Amino acid sequence: MAIEVLIFYLLAGVAIAAAAGVVLARNPVHSAVSLVLSFINVAAIYVVLRAEFLAVAQIIVYTGAIIVLVLFVLMLVQQQDLPEFHGGRPLRRAVGFLLGLALLAEVAAAILTRSLRGAPGSWTPEAVAAVGGNIQAIGRELYSAYMLPIQATALLLLAATIGALFLARPELVEERLAVARRLFTISLAHPRGVDTLQPVAELPAPQDGQLKPAGGDRSLVMARTAEEFTEQPAWGESRR
Amino acid sequence: MDWEALIVSYLLGFVLLNILLVLMAYMTWFERRLVAFFQDRIGPNRTGPFGLLQPIADGVKLISKEDIVPANADRLIFLVAPLLSFVLAPLGALVVPFGDSITLFGRQINLYVIDINVATLYFLAVGSMGVYGIILGGYASGNRYSLLGALRSTAQVISYELVLGLSLVGIFILTGSLSLVEILRAQQRTLILGGLELPNWFILSQPLAFVLFLIAAVAETNRAPFDLPEAETELIAGYFTEYSGFRFSFYFLAEYINMIVVSLIAATLFLGGIDGPFIDGIWWLVAKAFIFLFFYVWLRATLPRFRYDQLMGLAWKVLLPLALINIGVTGLVRLWGIGAL
Repeated sequence: MAIEVLIFYLLAGVAIAAAAGVVLARNPVHSAVSLVLSFINVAAIYVVLRAEFLAVAQIIVYTGAIIVLVLFVLMLVQQQDLPEFHGGRPLRRAVGFLLGLALLAEVAAAILTRSLRGAPGSWTPEAVAAVGGNIQAIGRELYSAYMLPIQATALLLLAATIGALFLARPELVEERLAVARRLFTISLAHPRGVDTLQPVAELPAPQDGQLKPAGGDRSLVMARTAEEFTEQPAWGESRR
Repeated sequence: MDWEALIVSYLLGFVLLNILLVLMAYMTWFERRLVAFFQDRIGPNRTGPFGLLQPIADGVKLISKEDIVPANADRLIFLVAPLLSFVLAPLGALVVPFGDSITLFGRQINLYVIDINVATLYFLAVGSMGVYGIILGGYASGNRYSLLGALRSTAQVISYELVLGLSLVGIFILTGSLSLVEILRAQQRTLILGGLELPNWFILSQPLAFVLFLIAAVAETNRAPFDLPEAETELIAGYFTEYSGFRFSFYFLAEYINMIVVSLIAATLFLGGIDGPFIDGIWWLVAKAFIFLFFYVWLRATLPRFRYDQLMGLAWKVLLPLALINIGVTGLVRLWGIGAL
């Protein structure tokens, strides 16, 4: 038992340090990487608690999908367009500090008064083993006792998906029709969106006076010997 | 706590990872020779008999090269990202069963490193973590081509991971378990169709899922024809443009280890793993994985690269609906008791 407690403290320590890194890092990508580290440590704590399914779900959903999407957005946005994470107006800083303090007080109160603990549920380790493992236990519980919340969540996600499609749709009716047409056209010759190629207008032929050397205005450099090209001395050769 | 079983597991894992490292080096040799034969060339045949020492020569070359860090790279992430890719790649092989339990020196020894009840999900989770090596490497290089490669790979891996996961749900419905050992045991039964006696391999009861898994696995390992993150004609080399020396080789090796691991998992999930005619054993698993590895090289030598929008269109408009239909049909069949175990 002592080893498990030791492992828990190690994992929890790394998770908390990584979480602090999320807040303290100046580069948002570094913040995201710290968050990944924190999530993995939390998943490892789940494994110590014999909740393998929860651990794997945490890794697949949070680190495998959500943080990847966060990184995706961070890379698409120019670094200078990102909001300033540190500093800012005095009022904002003060409010942020107070909110953080309030949250800390709440969590500390919950832990110190032990009101978080509650009564132990009916799923003891023996009961979980009896139904064949924690996947089976979670499945039974989710699709019997928590049927209504599951369906409500499904409805919410469906609404969010439709909303995203609605927001991403083109503004004009003609554009929408064009998109629909493109969706059902298989074009092997042109990239999407240029199925009706317009001929490119020919450039006017250059006059004699407009012709320029390809090198631009840079004057030609004549090298008399091969050594003049060499900027770095070769291996074992002394610089002249 | 059963300390002896734990130590045996660790030893087995250690041996397995080392075998994987050697195999991966020879996978590069195998691929180069095979692609050469496909293209009517000879391939590496100078270093050792049949060029068998070529991987060692390559390794020595890559290790002795200079390790360059670009001036505007994000230094720490740049240095760590290839290691991340390399370390995560072989972890999936730890849940592959290489046989059932045997009795040796009076104690029961399992021929698998570990049997966790979420083994298949664990494989998917490790795969989804592996993409971080690519994303962070591309970002940290401070190069636009690398960044583009990383962005492509992000979108690609997220899309195809979904297909990969959903294609396996049919198997979960049929076996009622996510453990690879349980899935293997389910496949060792005999399937009786009229007068025919067939092995209960899931390629026979889940053919659509097998095709989907195969396509998604090729995309997940960033191999041709889905090798858009490293499209050398468009992106120079994609996410590893700025990498050189042994850090470059880490990416390279991670790709080959991923191929081997995915082949082992595919052989276990769909082709019955160690199950085969005459005597069951690890050789059947190796032979089946070899078929998949040959398939990988065959694809690379045959097919041109997909265009980016075709790639995403294929995942979201073709493969994902097919996977959902497969789940629905399998569920109905199980409900009506036709395929009940």
